[in-house]
Amino acid sequence: MRIVNPGFGLTPAGAEQATEGKVDWLNDPIVLFGNSKPNARELLEGVKAKLAGIRRTDNIDFVAKNSASQGAPLEMINDAAKKYRIALLALGD
Amino acid sequence: MVGVVIATETFKPLVLAQAKARKVDPHLIVVKHPVGGLNAEELVERIEAAFAGFQQEMNA
Amino acid sequence: MSDSADTEILDIADLDQEAWQDYAIEQGWSDGLPLVMPTEASVARMVAAAHGDNEGFAAISPRQVVPTMASLAANAVMAGAKAAYFPTILAGLRGILDPSYNLHGSMATTHSCAPMVMVNGPLRQALDINCSSNCFGQGWRANASIGRAIQLILLNVGGGKPGVMDRSTQGSPAKYAFCFGENEEESPWLPFHVRRGFAPEDTVVTVMSGEAPHNINDHGSTSAEGLMTTFAHTIAQPGANTVYGKGPYMVVVGPEHAATFHRDGWGVDKLRDELWLRARIPLKHISEENLATYAATGHHATGDFLTICRGPEDIHISMAGGPGKHSAFIPSFGGTAVVSTRVKLPPAGIGA
Repeated sequence: MRIVNPGFGLTPAGAEQATEGKVDWLNDPIVLFGNSKPNARELLEGVKAKLAGIRRTDNIDFVAKNSASQGAPLEMINDAAKKYRIALLALGD
Repeated sequence: MVGVVIATETFKPLVLAQAKARKVDPHLIVVKHPVGGLNAEELVERIEAAFAGFQQEMNA
Repeated sequence: MSDSADTEILDIADLDQEAWQDYAIEQGWSDGLPLVMPTEASVARMVAAAHGDNEGFAAISPRQVVPTMASLAANAVMAGAKAAYFPTILAGLRGILDPSYNLHGSMATTHSCAPMVMVNGPLRQALDINCSSNCFGQGWRANASIGRAIQLILLNVGGGKPGVMDRSTQGSPAKYAFCFGENEEESPWLPFHVRRGFAPEDTVVTVMSGEAPHNINDHGSTSAEGLMTTFAHTIAQPGANTVYGKGPYMVVVGPEHAATFHRDGWGVDKLRDELWLRARIPLKHISEENLATYAATGHHATGDFLTICRGPEDIHISMAGGPGKHSAFIPSFGGTAVVSTRVKLPPAGIGA
């Protein structure tokens, strides 16, 4: 017997496998990307403090989207992509 | 750009499913759940775990 | 939700009713209840009913795949919908896919939100959508299967599998089906869709990512002022998502309460303005830890209270239900919008 697949869907146009370049983990700028959930900033800043022992941290900055329930504005993502080479993101609760 | 994601073990399946849907292969650091609701003392363990994970990514 | 979604037609072994249910549940297609088999013929009948609505759809989050009319129709069939309901289901889905609805956020959140679906206009009666007694409850095929079809689409096409991509901490009964109609016939106010700029003869589906309805019981108040006291203090809850993720909420006034407001000269605008001023949470009802967290993310107290929305425009008033001294409010997820979409019907003679 034949049925219609209720999970059928098409891959959106332009959805291609993302690639990433090589980075210098000791010197490249890092953005700490918070999700506005409680303790996200404390977690990321805590990691930054510990990174001070192994790499430069004067080019590590914290940013956060302004709502835990909404995606980060595209402008914020684009700005981060231009300015930094590494992103450390906090997701979930 | 390289993205490194810190998520709690509870959110790991969501992150992986999302990454698959969006065709990305994230560098994932998994820490114990939860992060929210912990006091500063309790959070230290999560920071240690996240830092250790990040070091692994640096050295990979 | 099956990961192998690259085949629109599945050739499966002949199954009896019981075996089909087992198979469908194994595929992850069910909300836990039995499903109607989406045969090619039943799906074709459903698709034929949507010939007035042939624009494409955006990819559905969180899985990010673009549905076909047939895959959407398969879910409507499985939900037990009649073909005539399909244009209404599609209008609801289009609203959910509007970027302002924030489907991705509302699926991945730990909050208990579900798509609230409210129908206005003449098709309510033609489809027998319950707008009166027990309108949020059981007993009406249209309410149950329109709401359920949308949920099944989000599960099977959107990939919102509970515990994986749907991260709700506790979920909600509203996640099975949450569809009702406005009781325009008994309302003292203009229909909701007309207030939003649609024509009275349009059928319009309004969606919001919301919690299940919260009851507002007031048998004693005999004035608009008295009712407002009860409404405002019932709505102002420190546990609302919108304490910090400011967003809309819907108040569904029952007909007897609506009549009292109307008798005392309170229209929709007056209700919204009074709720904006009075449905606020005193700071003494909020823990210091929460206040610090809200402040850290930019949500500061105004005076000695916190608001639960951004202004009167976030407060949406509709009228539904039957006899009785009850109303309801529906808090939203927060980062969402109330989106209204006109139902596109096929030209006369086409479809079911």
